[in-house]
Amino acid sequence: MIIKARSLHRQLFIWLLAPQVVLWLAAALFTYKLAERYANEAIDASLSQSSRALARQVKPLDNGLFIDFPRAAQDILEADPSDRVLYTVSTPPGHFILGNRNLPPLPANATAQLGEPFFYDGELSDPAAPQPANTRVRVAALLLNYGAADKPDQTLLVQVARSSTNREELARRILLDTVLPLSGLMLLMTMIVWTGIRAGLAPLALLQARVAGRASNDLTPIQLEAAPPEVRSLALAINTLLSAVHHNIGAQKRFISDAAHQLRTPLAGLKSQTELAMQEAREAVAEPALLARLQRVHDSATRSAHLVNQLLSLARAEPESASQQVLLPLDLLRLAQEVTAELVPRALAAGVDLGLEESDGASFTVRGIPFLLREALINLIDNAIRYAGRGASVTVRVSRAATAGQLLLEVEDNGPGLTDAQLEQMFERFVRAAQDGGGCGLGLPIVREIVERHAGRVSLLHAPGSGLIARITLPEG
Amino acid sequence: MNLLLAEDDAILAEALSAQLRRAGFEVEHAANGAVAEYLLLKSPFDIAVLDLGLPMVDGLTVLKRLREARRSLPVLVLTALDSLDDRVAGLNAGADDYLTKPFDFPELEARLHALLRRGRPVSGGTELGRLIFDRDSRRATAGGEPLDLSPREAMLLDLLLQERGKVVTKEQISQAWAQDKSEGSGAGSIEVYIHRLRRKLELSGLAIRTVRGLGYLLEVDAGA
Repeated sequence: MIIKARSLHRQLFIWLLAPQVVLWLAAALFTYKLAERYANEAIDASLSQSSRALARQVKPLDNGLFIDFPRAAQDILEADPSDRVLYTVSTPPGHFILGNRNLPPLPANATAQLGEPFFYDGELSDPAAPQPANTRVRVAALLLNYGAADKPDQTLLVQVARSSTNREELARRILLDTVLPLSGLMLLMTMIVWTGIRAGLAPLALLQARVAGRASNDLTPIQLEAAPPEVRSLALAINTLLSAVHHNIGAQKRFISDAAHQLRTPLAGLKSQTELAMQEAREAVAEPALLARLQRVHDSATRSAHLVNQLLSLARAEPESASQQVLLPLDLLRLAQEVTAELVPRALAAGVDLGLEESDGASFTVRGIPFLLREALINLIDNAIRYAGRGASVTVRVSRAATAGQLLLEVEDNGPGLTDAQLEQMFERFVRAAQDGGGCGLGLPIVREIVERHAGRVSLLHAPGSGLIARITLPEG
Repeated sequence: MNLLLAEDDAILAEALSAQLRRAGFEVEHAANGAVAEYLLLKSPFDIAVLDLGLPMVDGLTVLKRLREARRSLPVLVLTALDSLDDRVAGLNAGADDYLTKPFDFPELEARLHALLRRGRPVSGGTELGRLIFDRDSRRATAGGEPLDLSPREAMLLDLLLQERGKVVTKEQISQAWAQDKSEGSGAGSIEVYIHRLRRKLELSGLAIRTVRGLGYLLEVDAGA
């Protein structure tokens, strides 16, 4: 079963932040409730005062009530035009005396005490009222006894209502004033948590980058100082695996190398014996058919020897061995001169005119492993000699590429050249341009391995006229 | 020339001995390191061909002990190992040259001769084609006829003869000329001297081949 792992970043982020969000919501709710309570208390106090003041104006007169409600008192009650105060004076049950008829009645469950104001919320429902219909109001109801002592059941109900708008506005403002800075804090907190998580997980990211950024052939162990203790065991396990892989690859390469080396002595014996046999056969004037057969055995031995040598070259050019070599600054032109001069006798023996194109004394410095670059050039020249054929000419050239900072090392021949399809395949191992060239099909793959070690490229192009150009492009160093 | 061949592979040793004998060497064969060491320390050889992977005592140890015993004979190391480290180890142990198996016999022969030449004092006569050149007197004859060579031409011929079959670069020629202060005679470019020498060598059966962009190479004419 594969457990799909979730991002550590996300997990930590959620677990660190979720409790804070809950706290934030709770705080907001609490603040709102508190604000509402204080707003109600303030309004209730003023309503209570108003209702008592109004009640004082009501005086019993004979069998009725006399209400002395001067204009000035009304003005005081209705001080705020946007927050109109409404009032009703009635004698229960439902005998309206004065004021506004539309006030919400006492709720059924109200247990109003005599002389004690009772507060409730309600709605004004009069469409003719100056306020829009269904205005929410807060009402204070005061029940008073106004009659003489012998008529204890004569009660008077004073209701004073005030729109809730201001009260709600106040609560909202208190809420906003609290919630805004709280939200800012939340945002800040989120950022701090995020940064903290990133910082905390940075060593993990570093480790990841180190492993991800590796070349596929880099099997050196991960440096453990880079790993925090929590992931050190993971890094250790990876290192163990790496070293096992490294060991395996090394063992395989050693086997190939050992096998090739072990082949060398018997091949040398075979070559020496056939060389000798040919000499003796020639001297003894042996049959031409036998001589030809001996020649073929010798050619075959020579080819096997070449193949073994090339296999070893390839093993040497491969990163595992090449990475241990230090790149040194070297003069590409001098290298070309030396290698070309060295191969001139071989070229002459094959009837090929090998030469170097004169360059303008400029310096052509690259950073490289000298013996590997030599090997690459030897392979290119050797290919040209093999495939261009007797009478052809092969020219080695060092020049500056059109792209700045790039140098070209080219081997051009005027031989038969290759078709486009053949050009494509030439860098594959064991692909040969011709069956009779005596090559083993490892030359160009070796060149490519070497050149890529040097951050360069190798390509085959058609030469003007006929023939091929093998071009190595190297960064100037 | 007495040559010790230390090689444990019997088939290779047998063929190589025969080829070396044909090439004019007196060959003694040692099949393991102990015998090779014993023979080298006991008898005066002119040159040795030493395989590194010998049984009993390996070639590198034989070579070290030989050098410790102050034997200065040239040693050509023959080996199936050819990494840079192996080469360096071989040369550090006192090898004069290094050849990896498998090799072409002419290559081995050429290197042995080069080692023998190097060991000898710089004098004596050289014979090539129909040319006889005496290094000491700087006189040359082609087909018996004496050649009239200027000092610079003689020097050029000497250089080409020493490196025959290989490319002599223009740089090498100018260096040789610069080192030689005994004669002030002669001005002119390398090309001019080569041109003159070519004409004088017409009867010698030797040809100076121009190698494009590099220098010159002395070869024996196919017809000679």
